[in-house]
Amino acid sequence: MVMLSKKTQGSKMRRLIALLALVATPTLAALPVLAADPPAAPAVKGLWLLTDYPSQTVRPGEVANIRFKLQNAGLVPETLALSVDGVPAGWKADVLGGGQPVAAAMPGINESTSLTLRVDVPKDAKPGSQTITVQAKGANQSIDLPVTLTIGTEAPAKLTLKARLPSLMGTPRSAYEYTLAVSNDSGKDLTVAMSAQAPANFQTSFTEGYGTNEISSIPIEAGQSKDIKVKVTPPRDVKAGNYPVLVKVAAEGATADQRVTLQISGQGRLALSAKDGRLSGEAQVGKTSDYTLVVSNDGTAPLEEVELSGSVPTNWKVEFNPKTIPSVAPNEKKEVQVAVTPSDKTIAGDYVASFRANAKGESSNADFRITVTTSTLWGIVGVGIIAVALLVLLGAVARFGRR
Amino acid sequence: MPRNQGSREGSPFTGLGPVFLKELSDHLSSTRMMVLTLFVIVFGALPVGFTLQEIRTVTASDQFLFLRIFTVEPERMPLSFVVALNFMIPLMAIGLGFDSVNSEFNRRTLSRVLSQPLYRDALLLGKFLGGLATLAVALMALFLIVFGAGLLLLGLPPRGPEVARGIAFLLVAIAYGGVWLAVAMLFSVIFRSTATSALCALGLWLFFFILWPMIASAITTGFTPAQFRSVDEVLTLEQFSSALARLSPGTLFGEAVLGLLNPETKAFGYFANLVMAQTRGMIPGTPLPLDQSLLLIWPQITGLIAGMIVLFAIAYIVFQREEVRA
Repeated sequence: MVMLSKKTQGSKMRRLIALLALVATPTLAALPVLAADPPAAPAVKGLWLLTDYPSQTVRPGEVANIRFKLQNAGLVPETLALSVDGVPAGWKADVLGGGQPVAAAMPGINESTSLTLRVDVPKDAKPGSQTITVQAKGANQSIDLPVTLTIGTEAPAKLTLKARLPSLMGTPRSAYEYTLAVSNDSGKDLTVAMSAQAPANFQTSFTEGYGTNEISSIPIEAGQSKDIKVKVTPPRDVKAGNYPVLVKVAAEGATADQRVTLQISGQGRLALSAKDGRLSGEAQVGKTSDYTLVVSNDGTAPLEEVELSGSVPTNWKVEFNPKTIPSVAPNEKKEVQVAVTPSDKTIAGDYVASFRANAKGESSNADFRITVTTSTLWGIVGVGIIAVALLVLLGAVARFGRR
Repeated sequence: MPRNQGSREGSPFTGLGPVFLKELSDHLSSTRMMVLTLFVIVFGALPVGFTLQEIRTVTASDQFLFLRIFTVEPERMPLSFVVALNFMIPLMAIGLGFDSVNSEFNRRTLSRVLSQPLYRDALLLGKFLGGLATLAVALMALFLIVFGAGLLLLGLPPRGPEVARGIAFLLVAIAYGGVWLAVAMLFSVIFRSTATSALCALGLWLFFFILWPMIASAITTGFTPAQFRSVDEVLTLEQFSSALARLSPGTLFGEAVLGLLNPETKAFGYFANLVMAQTRGMIPGTPLPLDQSLLLIWPQITGLIAGMIVLFAIAYIVFQREEVRA
């Protein structure tokens, strides 16, 4: 039913469109007909062998890889036999496709096949130019690509190294990561070794752009560029200042370097300890005991507003004098008195009191072991009770005795 | 008593020495004493033997290994040395004291003794001290046997604090024996029949060991609220329950010994220890120094010594008011 109604609807539509077309024809006829040909048809038809650099320089004893393409524009695909002509004696030339030697190629319509001409240049090749012709031969067509190879001193390997952000700021604990772009500007693939010269005790490591593996060298194809990352870890106790790190890359005699700078600002480092290093003390139940703590700054910048706090067992009292220290200069030590009062109900034993010093972003804590002793007062009371019992006995002797 | 005024002359303790020495020699040479000592030693030696065997297999280092001989409960016997002593010392003391006065009376030797130039004061005190000295000798012997066995089988000497704690333990044990000796003597003064006094003393002993814990727990249950609202409430109830239990000299002795021989003891009662350690920031498992342990158990020691003196005073008053001529 549905199909049927659709069909009838469709035929109705078609009739309507025909009617409209009839009405519109006088106006449309005036415009050029556009929809007649396929839109992306190239203007030229044919078969080509293409390469970017038909004339290259090679060095004796090396292998030159020349990339070229077999381009088919608008022709019916056919098998095209590939051959190399004009190879000088002692030289060796192969056509490689997909890394394998190939003898024929078949590009589709409006497509191209990538190929490589591999030329083994012998060590004793004489200076001068040699022309090697690559030929693609089909059933009724044949095309040539002459490639001129000039024996000579090839442009030496060349590397460039460039840092995105050559100067970073931070504290001794920050992570300094520099992203550097290494480009291989020479005509061949290189394996680039990396090294860094950093001040003593600075640690450096290289990683690939977004990788996590530490690397010491990286292969870069001819003309390509890769990002590497240098991570510099300064020692914790480094003084504030600027520290240069020279990053070097080297491959086959080519080197490049780039200086990156760490601008390290000082950072305070808080340390809390007891005056004589002894982190234990004694206290009596219900009585205040004073201990001396030492707040020191082992860092390289002053610490401001050092606040002291402590966590002690329930119902204990803890007071610091002073409660806050306005400033502690580097390598300075300041003493703080802490008064701890165990609660009246504390039983004898060892307790932990944790003291903490806090500055902006810095903190240090020291666990203090407090041995609580009970007062001997109750011992004396006990002796008193025994004395009372003895007095009762003596009273009885006085009252009833000597019978 | 104006008529006695004239006779109250000199020290009431003249003749104390001879009475004490005679009593001591009588006790030490008596068959009863031999039997009692043997009894106690066998009862004490068994747990110690088992405990020593167990301790020898333990490889963990222990600061107070020597004291564990007294307190560790062996697997093969649900009784540690101190628990056995807690039970045995009263029996020994009652055995020594239940007939000290009334047997003299029944043998009609009391008036003969008192016709000598000595006061009743000296007689009673001499008898008490004689019994106490006998107890002390027996306990000392037992203690030395245990220490010696420990030395022999563990092969390591006790440290200073351990010896000090051991000696303190011995003194507490003697004081505990003194309490029961005073109880036995009180009954021997009150009752003319030795059988009655022995029965009463043993009855009291059984009461405190079997009935009193049940009664105390029943009373505590009566005071237990339907729901605890705070930790302090639990602790208060615990304190009440221990206060009731401490009316028994056995509990006092047990706690005093625990404090002495288990240096890690910081409070008595299961909940007290738990709560103190967990909520009040205490470092668990650390031993207390000896003086702090002594301070902890000082109330118990005081209770034992004062109880002994008061009981003796009551026996003394009853004895002084008694008619001894028969």
